[in-house]
This record gives sequence, C-alpha cells and structure tokens, in this order.
Amino acid sequence: MNKEHVENIIRRYENPEGKILGILEDIQETYKYLPKESLEFVSKKLGMPLSKLYSIATFYSFFNLKPVGEHIITVCMGTACHVRGAKDILNNLIELLKIGVNETTEDGKFFLTTEDKHFSLNTARCFGCCSMAPVIRVDDKIFGYVTIKDLPKILKAYGWKSK
Amino acid sequence: MKSKDIQVLINGQEFKAKEGELVIDIARRNGIFIPALCYEESLKPYGACRMCIVEIKNEGVKKKITTSCTLQAFDGLSIETDSEEVLKHRKVLLELYLAQAPNSSKLKELALRYGVNRTRFRQKIRDDDPLNNSCVLCGLCVRVCSEVMSAGVINFIGRGEKTRVNTPYFEQSELCLGCRACAEVCPTGAIEFRDDGDIRIAASWSNTKVELKKCSMCGKYYAPVKLDKKIDTLYYYKDRDDELRDMCPDCRRKAIARKMTLIAENEVEKYAK
Repeated sequence: MNKEHVENIIRRYENPEGKILGILEDIQETYKYLPKESLEFVSKKLGMPLSKLYSIATFYSFFNLKPVGEHIITVCMGTACHVRGAKDILNNLIELLKIGVNETTEDGKFFLTTEDKHFSLNTARCFGCCSMAPVIRVDDKIFGYVTIKDLPKILKAYGWKSK
Repeated sequence: MKSKDIQVLINGQEFKAKEGELVIDIARRNGIFIPALCYEESLKPYGACRMCIVEIKNEGVKKKITTSCTLQAFDGLSIETDSEEVLKHRKVLLELYLAQAPNSSKLKELALRYGVNRTRFRQKIRDDDPLNNSCVLCGLCVRVCSEVMSAGVINFIGRGEKTRVNTPYFEQSELCLGCRACAEVCPTGAIEFRDDGDIRIAASWSNTKVELKKCSMCGKYYAPVKLDKKIDTLYYYKDRDDELRDMCPDCRRKAIARKMTLIAENEVEKYAK
C-alpha cells in the first residue's frame, strides 16, 4: 500500500467543497426543496460564499429552489417517449392540473406547482424504460404506456379532484 | 529551488525564459501580442476562452494546438502565435463570441483586428440583461471576487445556454466591497458601476449599493467604506497620523508634503540660528 496515495485520497474528502453536494442532497430530502435560509446557514457553517452554493443549486436540475407540491409528477421527454406523444401528455397534464403553460421558474428550470401545492410537474430526459413509452413518474412510481385517457385515473389515485 | 534558464522559440525568434513559465507571459513580456479573454496574471491559469491558442512546432512532435496560458515552457519549445491554422480557429472563436456578446465594443475591436466583422451564428440578445449583452462568461469577475478579494459576491447561475453571472437570488449583496475589481478585469467591459453621491451602485450585480467614504479635507467621495476598512485592517500602521486616515489620496499627498516642508523649514531655521 502506498501510504501517501491513500492519504491523498482522504484529503480529497476533507475539502468542504467535496461535501457540499451531499449536504444539499440531504437537505432537499427533508424539505423537498432548498429553502433560502438553509443555504445561508450552510454558507455560514462551511465558510463558503452563498453565491457559490446558489451556483451549485442552480447548476443541477436535481435541486429545487422553490417549494414543491406533495406529489411530484415527472414526464419523460426522451426520444422514445417523444415519438410516442410525450408532448401531448405533458400539455394534458398542464391542462388537468391547471398550471400556466410555458411558465418557467426564475432559475430557468421547468418546474410547475399547482396553487394548492398538491402537485408539482416537471420533465426529465429519460427514465431508461423506453420500451414502456410514453412514461410518466409520480413520486417514485413509474407508469408506462400512458395515454391521455389514463391521466385522470392516475391523478385521482393521488388525491386529484376534477374541477 | 531556482528554475532553470531556457530558450524558447516564438515565431522563429529566440527568447530567454525560466523553465515552467507560462508561454503567454514570455510572449507578452517580449511584446508579442497574444489575445486572451480569461487570462489574468494574478489568477491561476484557467484556459477557458481559448483565444490564446498557439501552435507547437517542435520537430518530431505531432502538430498540436494548445492554449498558451496553460502551456509551461521547456527548453527548445518552439511555437507559432499566428499560424494559418491558429488564425482559422481564432476567427471562428471570435464569431462565436460576437454571437454570445453582441454588444461589447471591446470584443468587436478585437474581432476587427483579425478581420472578423460579422458573425454567422445567431446573436444572443436578452432584454434587460444587467450585463448589457456583453458577457462572454470567461469567469474572470467570479474568480477575482472570490480568489483575490475573498468576497465571493458573484458566481455563475444556471448552466448551458442560460448561464449568467450575478448575485445569489438576484438580490442586493451585503458582502460586496464596491472595489470594482470585477469591472476592472472584465475583458469585454460588460460590468457597470456608477457613483451617485455617497453611494456606489453596482448596476450589473442586482443594483447592489455600497456606501462611499468622504474625504475630510476636500469633501470628495473617494472609496467605499467597507473597502477602506478592509485595507485599514491589512495595512494600517498605528504610528500613522490619524488625520491622514480619512483623506482621499490626493489630499493625503498634499498633507504629507506640507508637513515635510514645515519640518524642513524648521530645520533651516535651526541651523540659521
């Protein structure tokens, strides 16, 4: 074993910069988004400028800077899903959930939340299950072969009421 | 350890240098122009803008184009700063930059130097862009703010085509010193500051406001209070005159000169007696 080499590996993880993603991830797991106060707190704790944390949080599409709904619906916009009509599914969901069309959040990410904070809607590139296209995901559950007709049924299972 | 003296060839001309020196430094020291947008001597090499590309011409080495701001010199290194291939790449780069920052006059000037006066790419124009559609995202302001000034007021936000530089949450920053280092290093002149009475406004950074200090002699506002304090804690000597502390550099010089003349006159009188 080369002691120096292993020490170098350890040193890599002493650096606070290497821990940040993990910290932010855990915060988001608790609050479902990154509250501003939490970023400010982390910044103070680690002695790292807030601008850097904000930069990281806006870089990764995984992080949300705004409160999200109770259930998160993700529509796959990958090639296979796109070909089988993912766009129609997305537009239909926007209509069913009554969220403004073509709205993007301040940080430029596509993430829409209903007024009652029950649902959030966003898109993803690929879930890796193209054979089931088109695919949507609600929280952790994947729904394949989705048609526009299926959507109200799926939403109802998560407490959606048609208005 | 002292680094070795070496010889490098730039455009066929021989120059003395130290081993490990950056090629861009050697060239600029000897009056050879190499354009660069993201290079600044006080910062670590970054190699982002690719404008400073040069061609390595050593025999036996495969022809290679690389950035001179990251290339460390070795003995016998031979490079060409404006070879046909380098110019070809540089022109395309300039066109891309003109599309990214269509409003920058500094950039247009540089492009003209290489005979580039239009761009084939779609110009990126944003309405009410705080950086006046002049930012090429070279990162100099971000780096100078955190690495040199240790302030960390600004950083990149978002990614890809939507990347821009600003304060977190696009809110006024409490950390900004108002030192204007970012505007000073900006290669495209995108960053705007303006002084309004006793307030300095960083128009590009979400209108961050910084208080200015007034000269106790002439009443001119001469430096941001926070910056003055920072310099004070770093360089202020206790035996320095307190009245000089609140003066602008002009008045300070005058005051010191006056004092010296007084001392000199006293000395003259002393000897005259």
